[in-house]
Amino acid sequence: MTPPRTVVLDNEAIQALRSTTHPKHARVIAHVQVIAQRKRKAIPLDVVAPTAVRVETGWDRRAPAAALINHLRISDAPLDTTIANVAAEITGRLQVSVADAHIGAVVRAVVDHGHVAIITSDPNDMAAVTDPVPVTIVSI
Amino acid sequence: MGTSMRIPASLRDAAEIAVEHFQVAPSTTALTADALRSRLEALVLQAALDNHYSENPKQRPSLGDLAVAAAELDEHPLASRPDLLRRAAKEVAKRHPHADADDVLLWAEAQAAMTT
Repeated sequence: MTPPRTVVLDNEAIQALRSTTHPKHARVIAHVQVIAQRKRKAIPLDVVAPTAVRVETGWDRRAPAAALINHLRISDAPLDTTIANVAAEITGRLQVSVADAHIGAVVRAVVDHGHVAIITSDPNDMAAVTDPVPVTIVSI
Repeated sequence: MGTSMRIPASLRDAAEIAVEHFQVAPSTTALTADALRSRLEALVLQAALDNHYSENPKQRPSLGDLAVAAAELDEHPLASRPDLLRRAAKEVAKRHPHADADDVLLWAEAQAAMTT
């Protein structure tokens, strides 16, 4: 049992937050509400969206339809040079999508700050791309 | 808006001690800015959620939903027992209407420990 320091969102978690009609919207909003409650208690907790996942889901921060998710204090985790190298290694080894590899690389980059949780609809792929880093996989 | 803020001397002294002896931040300015940023982020996030709930009342999660979500994020052993957490949330809410998800988790964990 380990409270996370960073929560990473995968494709469906982002889609669920973007649309109030998504079948998993309420479920993921509950996770965000718990994060809000912990932030109010000054518990350090970041929520991040790897930018490759953001591209995959079509989340354009300039779009009016993104108003809700834009306000949920979700940071971009960019695919910069260092992260791209790690993601490329993961993709080459596991033949996963760029977005999934980006998640694996981001987890490796932030785990030094504390435990990581991933909200995902694809727990098997998340386990593969994060191995051997211990993470909490929240399956939605 | 001014570029300087008055804060109580005792608070400033405490911040200096925390920076010097506990290395909580590179400077008291950084510590102050971090704390202010965190507080504002929490307020803005909750305001966004409250606005969402007012526009979509059915989307407001119950205390039981929140307890389950908290257990999932923490990989808590009770995450596999959502029914128990939802019952615990109802009991806690009767006595403590302002309880949050972590309060329910703690209560449920203590109840489970006493019955094993």
